[in-house]
Amino acid sequence: MKDWAFGLMMAVAGMGVTFLTLYILTLLIHLLARFFPYKEEKKEEGK
Amino acid sequence: MEWTDVLSALVSGFASLTWQSAFLILLGCVLLYLAIAKGFEPYLLIPIGFGIILGNLPLSGLAATSEGGVLNLIYKAGILTEILPCFIFIGLGAMIDFGPMLANPKVLIFGAAGQFGIFLTLILALALGFSRPEACSIAIIGACDGPTAIYVTSKYARELLPAVSIAAYSYMSLVPVIQPPIMRALTTKAERQVVMAYEEKKVSKRVKVLFPIVGGVLCMLIAPMGAPLMGMLMLGNFLKESGVVSRLADVSSGALINIVTLLLGLCIGSSMLAGNFLQWQTILVFILGIVAISLDTVTGVLLGKLMRVLTKGKINPLIGAAGTSAFPMSARVVQMEGQKANPRSFLLWHAIGANTGGQIGSVMAASVMLAILAGMNILPV
Repeated sequence: MKDWAFGLMMAVAGMGVTFLTLYILTLLIHLLARFFPYKEEKKEEGK
Repeated sequence: MEWTDVLSALVSGFASLTWQSAFLILLGCVLLYLAIAKGFEPYLLIPIGFGIILGNLPLSGLAATSEGGVLNLIYKAGILTEILPCFIFIGLGAMIDFGPMLANPKVLIFGAAGQFGIFLTLILALALGFSRPEACSIAIIGACDGPTAIYVTSKYARELLPAVSIAAYSYMSLVPVIQPPIMRALTTKAERQVVMAYEEKKVSKRVKVLFPIVGGVLCMLIAPMGAPLMGMLMLGNFLKESGVVSRLADVSSGALINIVTLLLGLCIGSSMLAGNFLQWQTILVFILGIVAISLDTVTGVLLGKLMRVLTKGKINPLIGAAGTSAFPMSARVVQMEGQKANPRSFLLWHAIGANTGGQIGSVMAASVMLAILAGMNILPV
């Protein structure tokens, strides 16, 4: 019974933290993209 | 010295060969055949297969457990100390392009679904009577990530290290065989035919450079026990994206990862010995390992189906199978299965994003396991 509780706790904590971390990373990537949007690099024009 | 002594010395190798050793040498040859003739991950299977042959040759002293032997020295210095898995992660980081994930961050969530198998297998292993540290080590095979499996098992249950590492690497290379039948069984043809819109969304250089630092620090703060793996992964990626240390990035993604893979493969192959391998417990480890990877695929595809419904048909559920960290094998499998169903479908871009998410997700899942076991005083902090 104790092992079942341990397994369930590990599954809930493990999946919960993994989902939460990846969700926070998603938000972080959105933030980074907002602060540093892609800009077309200017090419130097030759004479 | 008598002639009979000379003769017995000359045939001592043959005389010491047991049927169990011969069986494993044959198994090593089968892995070499799969690598050469079938093209199954030759960079992994050739060192492992050859390592099995070397390790099981009687009287050679080439087994990873033969005290003082050349492979034993590498095994102790590189695997038991966890150095080689960390080096592999530098190389992986330098090889990975986070671009598809940064351009389409919602696919990251598949990287979490691909870890379900780890925890379901953990419960199964506990039910079969394995101890808690052993169950965690077996379950981590579901991460589909050899270095992470070695890293975790060398902390949890060293006696299972040969079985777990061989299972993890073998199943990683067999992803093209394991995943497709599950993907086809869980999806309809119409679902597999979905064409996912590809819009070229470019990511700025600054985001690519900042992500390994900001994202890496965040992950390491959430789960510090996985920091050696996550830190090395992000270091490798930073070397690549910084753009100013191309020699270091090239060495990491080329020579370093190749040398480390060779040493790691040889060592884990040569640790697969007849005496401690042909046992019921090892067979159970292999069975649970394949269950873990299959469950990862099942939960990934099921999340893909859910996402398809939520996005009104815009997501092809097959990309859920790429949420494991078998990089880039899973993404390639998704691309091939998608194209089989619909030649106009091009899923690789999306699948690579999910696959890099799986890489991060597997390290996070392993870190949480380590943290909980340390918190319960089962492991030293």
